[in-house]
Amino acid sequence: MAAALSLRAPPPALASAVALRTFSTTLLSIPLKPLFASSSRALRSSPFPPFLSLLPSRRLAVRACADGGNGASFSRQFDFDLFTIGAGSGGVRASRFAATYGAKVAICELPFSTISSENAGGVGGTCVLRGCVPKKLFVYASQYSHDFEESHGFGWAYESEPKHDWSTLIANKNAELQRLTGIYKNILQNAGVTLIEGRGKIVDPHTVEVDGKLYTARHILISVGGRPNLPEIPGIEYAIDSDAALDLPSKPEKIAIVGGGYIALEFAGIFNGLKSEVHVFIRQKKVLRGFDEEIRDFVSEQMSLRGIEFHVEETPQAIVKSTDGLLSLRTNKGTIDGFSHIMFATGRRPNTKNLGLENVGVDLAENGAILVDEYSQTSVDSIWAVGDVTDRLNLTPVALMEGGAFAKTVFLNEPTKPNFTAVPSAVFCQPPIGQVGLTEEQAIQEYGDVDIYTTNFRPLKATLSGLPDRVFMKLIVCANTNKVLGAHMCGDDAPEIIQGIGIAIKAGLTKWDFDSTVGIHPTSSEEFVTMRNPTRKIRKDSASVVEMSGDKIKSAG
Amino acid sequence: MTTLLSRSPMLFTLGDVLSSPLPSIFRSFSARSFPTRTAYLLGIGSNGRAIARQTGGVKLAQPISQWIIFMARKMLVDGVLDKVGEETKQYDFDLFVIGAGSGGVRASRTSAAFGAKVAICELPFHPISSEVIGGVGGTCVIRGCVPKKILVYGSEFRGEFEDSRNFGWEIDGKINFNWKKLLHNKTQEITRLNGIYMRLLSNAGVTMIEGEGKLIDAHTVEITEPDGTTKKHSAKHILIATGSRAQRANIPGKELAITSDEALSLEELPKRVVILGAGYIALEFASIWQGMGAEVDVFYRKELPLRGFDDEMRAVVAKNLEGRGIRLHPGTNLTELRKSEDGISVLTDHGDEFTADVVLFATGRVPNTKRLNLQSVGVELDNAGAIKVDEYSCTSVPNIWAVGDVTNRMNLTPVALMEGTCFSKTVFGGQPTKPDYADIPCAVFWLFAVVSDVISWNSLVPHLPVPVHTLFLVAVLKHHFGLPPLSIVGLSEQQALEQAKNDILVYTSSFNPMKNTISGRQEKTVMKLVVDSETDKVLGASMCGPDAPEIMQGIAVALKCGATKAQFDSTVGIHPSAAEEFVTMRTLTRRVAAGTKPKTNL
Repeated sequence: MAAALSLRAPPPALASAVALRTFSTTLLSIPLKPLFASSSRALRSSPFPPFLSLLPSRRLAVRACADGGNGASFSRQFDFDLFTIGAGSGGVRASRFAATYGAKVAICELPFSTISSENAGGVGGTCVLRGCVPKKLFVYASQYSHDFEESHGFGWAYESEPKHDWSTLIANKNAELQRLTGIYKNILQNAGVTLIEGRGKIVDPHTVEVDGKLYTARHILISVGGRPNLPEIPGIEYAIDSDAALDLPSKPEKIAIVGGGYIALEFAGIFNGLKSEVHVFIRQKKVLRGFDEEIRDFVSEQMSLRGIEFHVEETPQAIVKSTDGLLSLRTNKGTIDGFSHIMFATGRRPNTKNLGLENVGVDLAENGAILVDEYSQTSVDSIWAVGDVTDRLNLTPVALMEGGAFAKTVFLNEPTKPNFTAVPSAVFCQPPIGQVGLTEEQAIQEYGDVDIYTTNFRPLKATLSGLPDRVFMKLIVCANTNKVLGAHMCGDDAPEIIQGIGIAIKAGLTKWDFDSTVGIHPTSSEEFVTMRNPTRKIRKDSASVVEMSGDKIKSAG
Repeated sequence: MTTLLSRSPMLFTLGDVLSSPLPSIFRSFSARSFPTRTAYLLGIGSNGRAIARQTGGVKLAQPISQWIIFMARKMLVDGVLDKVGEETKQYDFDLFVIGAGSGGVRASRTSAAFGAKVAICELPFHPISSEVIGGVGGTCVIRGCVPKKILVYGSEFRGEFEDSRNFGWEIDGKINFNWKKLLHNKTQEITRLNGIYMRLLSNAGVTMIEGEGKLIDAHTVEITEPDGTTKKHSAKHILIATGSRAQRANIPGKELAITSDEALSLEELPKRVVILGAGYIALEFASIWQGMGAEVDVFYRKELPLRGFDDEMRAVVAKNLEGRGIRLHPGTNLTELRKSEDGISVLTDHGDEFTADVVLFATGRVPNTKRLNLQSVGVELDNAGAIKVDEYSCTSVPNIWAVGDVTNRMNLTPVALMEGTCFSKTVFGGQPTKPDYADIPCAVFWLFAVVSDVISWNSLVPHLPVPVHTLFLVAVLKHHFGLPPLSIVGLSEQQALEQAKNDILVYTSSFNPMKNTISGRQEKTVMKLVVDSETDKVLGASMCGPDAPEIMQGIAVALKCGATKAQFDSTVGIHPSAAEEFVTMRTLTRRVAAGTKPKTNL
């Protein structure tokens, strides 16, 4: 690879370099809907004046950019313009978009299985098969027990207590996953992407091997995601990870969940709702490190009220299986017996082993994540990476954004950086959390003077159900510019509510803008536009935090 | 400090006071009364209580509160009232409010926080309103939003039970629904809220008077107490916030029908229901009763329900209602009700006859202006009986004002709240001048408009103290809790076409919600964005599907301030949620040329 012509050059240079190199006499008559790469491959030819590069030609962009992307490969013929390893959210998005822009694309993925391994995966990836989707289906299933409890206050009664049948849920969940993986395959096929089943391994900067067969490509995209990571402690072989937890043959009677991150809390809520006895072990004092401190306190309190037992500052040291088949968890504080299952949700690790990355010199971070620049390009010019394997912000919509930006950059000649500011996210614990923008702690660090608006109220539904459910909401406002820097919520519907708030925060709206919006009554979300008085004002030049007001009630005029 | 504070009182904090033009008394007070520099006076709760904390966290509260009310009043008297210069006459109150619903309570409390001496009168409490019965809290709390949503919650469980089966839940034996228990719990909750409202008022230092208020002259209100005795009170300003009441259609046998008031308090759950009307109140009750197991027939004049909403969404709602088993009878009116052996016999203009246990008229509401003696004082009414007001809520009599449904501007609780706050700012907040309004951004001026079946867009325009061209930026909220709910903000496609100069881009998304993939329920969620092709501004958003009202609130904030489609697109989705569809609608559904006639006019 010639470093001199590397795509690492800034985007404008890229565009002009490109412009000098290729030309197509047919570019003025190019249809809006791009054709597949096979037809456009014939268009490569002589130089043309720079101004023509501004013409709205997608097919030109494809060729130009692909060539420009790697000078050394300029005259080489490849099997594909793009070869993607890993057909999860990021890989599918990137492949599909690249194909739409006219590239000839192949994607490889491991055979389908609900539990991932070195040899099993499936089109759709973590999100569809072992993450967001099955998890949320379980969350739906588990919420019904709370609904049943709520319904009593609304006049409903059952002759016998509702029971949950585990196998029905698993069967229906798996049927849905099969359907979705089929849909993803169709999406790829309809976009003209070649799907290859098998394990992809990089041989050189332009060659991928799948099950002994070699494929050459102008660009290679790595989107192999991540996998749960379990600590090396004695008896760890008895533990399950989140993959297995989503596909258990029977309901856990009593489960220990190790970890205080969002995965741990989501599963705690799921199993608690499905009537397992749930114990959560966390190393630190609080759950959800990195989240807003008040949210951390509020969510663990609410989850405790629903029956989940938290063991804080306890680090697991060993798992012991007793003769009755039950598991004991030994921690720094003692041993708790009688678990039918012990689940570790102690982090995920990028799937970068045995990919052949070391053969070609792709730089990795210490935790094994692929290092990329702002355009998702690795240290090897023709190799790119998106999604969890880069360990930037491990969320499906972010992988989609990265995949889309990659395709635009490389195959549409529109260098596009994924924008990681104000990315909203949710935790589907019960009650769920939605958040966007900065936490209070981050905002103070970055802006110094901030006003904090909070509300903590009993939702209308809880006043009738009699359950101790509450809702907590928080807006963080820059005291100087009045801009809303962050919004956080824990309570029913928080993920749905925060999405719209996310648009407002992304658009840089002010607290005044929020205040000037009329509420939708009676909803929980209207609280976000009716928080008139700061709970506290934080000023960097005074040590004092100024408390402004106390508790509030819901639905007061 | 932990006592009840409203979530949106018109509070002012010390900081606000110190930086306001009237603060001399306050400033000297805080300096004198808190000799140590570590103590801070922090604000005044809506209950009139001062909230203060030293740096160490010591709270100072109750004794100051009376003082604060006193000082706030002194400030007002010194700074505002005396300035008028014609205060030779002494009144019992600075403000007398007739009607303690959302708008009246808000206006009273915020005026009291500005230092005004305020009295408010309201009829005795009862779930069903009449000429002589009402209750502190008003329609929203006692006969509207709150009890309605409680019943909606109650009715939703049936669908939840059905949906839960495919998620593995089994309920052996019968599922019983006890309507009386729900009703009892609902009444308990609205009674509790009624109490909270009364406490809010008394904590704010507002004098509460039970009885029916009536104007004697421009400065005098006569109260007829429940025992029949009458008493007169004088006030510098009078605010009318008496709201509205459901109205019955004028057909033979109309006395056999009920309105939404009674519908929220029926002793027995009906088995067969006939509803006249297809506005949001009608449809909400249709879904409530259907959810509780009744057979429901809805009759209305138009082709589709929810006149004034986006036509596409109206069709979605109609489909969903029918999918749940509610029978719709478009283009049909009721002609007569007769008592029959097994219920009420309902005759239609198509010559059909139906039998029902309950007939609900949801055909509109009339402002409560009849018994107020308004005309003799010179307060002008419009044809519908609503009080005519200017853009500051002032009636044709300069010291008489009106907010909320009684003015029939836009009959929503949050709008009444907003009108109430604006009123007290204008009259008691020392910000009464027009130029100030024009310069203050949307924060102070909360203007909204809804095109509903009651009000047309054009009739609304005179009420808006903003140039018409900015209407596009004005967020319009309307919500509807049916099953599944519809929520809209901004313009419908038809409204956008009528008003826009540019072509309109329409983005729609129709999908099976994730929950339904397992439950098997056949109800698609539909979302829609209407975008101006030139400016890229999102003019309107609508959604019909679970959680739509909660989802739409944030979208409303964005629309209110002119968010563009590009800004929607640049927002990352929350996965997996329904709301993420609003930021991932990449493909244009259709482009409609400017000036094109709306494709339907149903």
